[in-house]
Amino acid sequence: MNNELLPFDDSMVLGRRGLFRLGGLTAATALIAAACGTTEAGPVGRIGVGAGVPKLADAVVNDGVLLRTMAGIETSIANAYTHILEKGYLTGSSPTLPALGDLSALVKSFHDHHINSAERFNTLAVDAGETAWECGNSRLDSAYLAVIFDRVENGVAATDATKAIEPSDDPTRDMANLVFTLESMSASSSQALVQQLHVPPARAEAMQLGIRSGRHASVIALRIHPGGYVPGALSAAATAETTTTAGQDGAAPPPTPIPLPDAVPGQFGLLSPTIFIGGAGDENGVRLKLNFETPSLNSLSYPFDVCPEG
Amino acid sequence: MDIEVTESGLDAAPSTPRHPLGRRALLGVGLGGAAMSLLPFLSGRASATTPVEESTTTGVTTPPQRPTDPDVELLAVVQQVELTALALYNEALALSGWTDEHAVVITFIRQAHLAYGQSLSGLLGRRAPGVRSEQLFDELRGDFAGSVESVLAAAYALEASLAVTHGEVLAELQGTDAAALIASIQMNEARFGTVLADMAGMTDEADLLVEADAESLAGKV
Repeated sequence: MNNELLPFDDSMVLGRRGLFRLGGLTAATALIAAACGTTEAGPVGRIGVGAGVPKLADAVVNDGVLLRTMAGIETSIANAYTHILEKGYLTGSSPTLPALGDLSALVKSFHDHHINSAERFNTLAVDAGETAWECGNSRLDSAYLAVIFDRVENGVAATDATKAIEPSDDPTRDMANLVFTLESMSASSSQALVQQLHVPPARAEAMQLGIRSGRHASVIALRIHPGGYVPGALSAAATAETTTTAGQDGAAPPPTPIPLPDAVPGQFGLLSPTIFIGGAGDENGVRLKLNFETPSLNSLSYPFDVCPEG
Repeated sequence: MDIEVTESGLDAAPSTPRHPLGRRALLGVGLGGAAMSLLPFLSGRASATTPVEESTTTGVTTPPQRPTDPDVELLAVVQQVELTALALYNEALALSGWTDEHAVVITFIRQAHLAYGQSLSGLLGRRAPGVRSEQLFDELRGDFAGSVESVLAAAYALEASLAVTHGEVLAELQGTDAAALIASIQMNEARFGTVLADMAGMTDEADLLVEADAESLAGKV
């Protein structure tokens, strides 16, 4: 490099008059384009006869929609408990949680509470101008509960790329944890509803049902984890925080640890997801892990939704 | 050492009267730009902004976010109740006879009531009373000064009453911020009842689920 400056070419300079001419020319071009720009393209032509583009119904979110969504969630929980009780999972012993005992009577009373909650949420939804939602929540049923039951009961078949996953090594443990998860989700869903509902008495009613579920969660947590009152509380079970031990050389990898629940997980009522971990581990030891969250736009029971037949 | 020159001679040269951007040129460029920006508007074929759609009218009034004046009065009572609970747990922790495990739990509950009082202060600002109810404290103090067993029973009854109190308040609150806070407090105080029942050795399901009727504390402040 050197420090010589580039030669300066006078012919490249755009003078004042040149700029003025350019501006005027631009304005004139724009006006001509605007004057000629009224042509409508019209609809795109098509060949043959086909159905028109359907107009989707408005996804209105109001008090009625929120309340009947909660009715669906409560119904789904009750249906899940019916399945658990019919299969007798909670009467068996758990190798992981030997002190668990028979939870059948307790979960049967939880079931009755959720049936009652669904009816009360539906009554509130009707009062708010919506129709009652008489079945389970479609998303909770298909994306969560069915997946868990299938994994626990049947495992996963082998594919070209992965080995088969066995059915659960401890279905009683998994179902007890599922009950805790569902009660926690029911409680946090009712709590989340308070901020969204317009009518104060409906908020109080929702919480009345929600705190009952919260107490259920605490009771079942203390059965799974005796002495686990609050995070950090001393307990005999604290040493058994995980359900697995490290694998030896050449042995199968240890399955995902399943944390023990606490009766009161925080200083304030939580709206965060409740995590379910269960089923047998896959070839890497990874168990099924799902986050149960409060209802959102993809799980609401909108006015245009209907219960699936059957 | 070479000296690198990164500017072109044109840019680096001092400004001279020969090639400045003059007023007329600026005016011309401005006119051109203005004409271009008007083009979509004049042609009616495009728009630079998203059209505003009319919102659906539901006929329901949107609740306020911040507490209303009647809300403030209710929340002030709630804060006094929470600070009274804090003082009662201070009395309880002064007792001897707690196991390590139970002391951790009672301290946790005490700290929770402190957090509830502080959260209400944050919501109420200068209108927060910031003091306990002496009337309620005097009424309940004796229950929190006996044996560990009697204190657990008193705390169980207190948490049940607090849950009922918050339910009453929630049915009246208009502001959503306050309603959300009270709901999160009510949820935990309801669960504290189950914890205290288990600590007290209760095994009956109705006791663990705190099914017995409890009295609101709102009228006792």
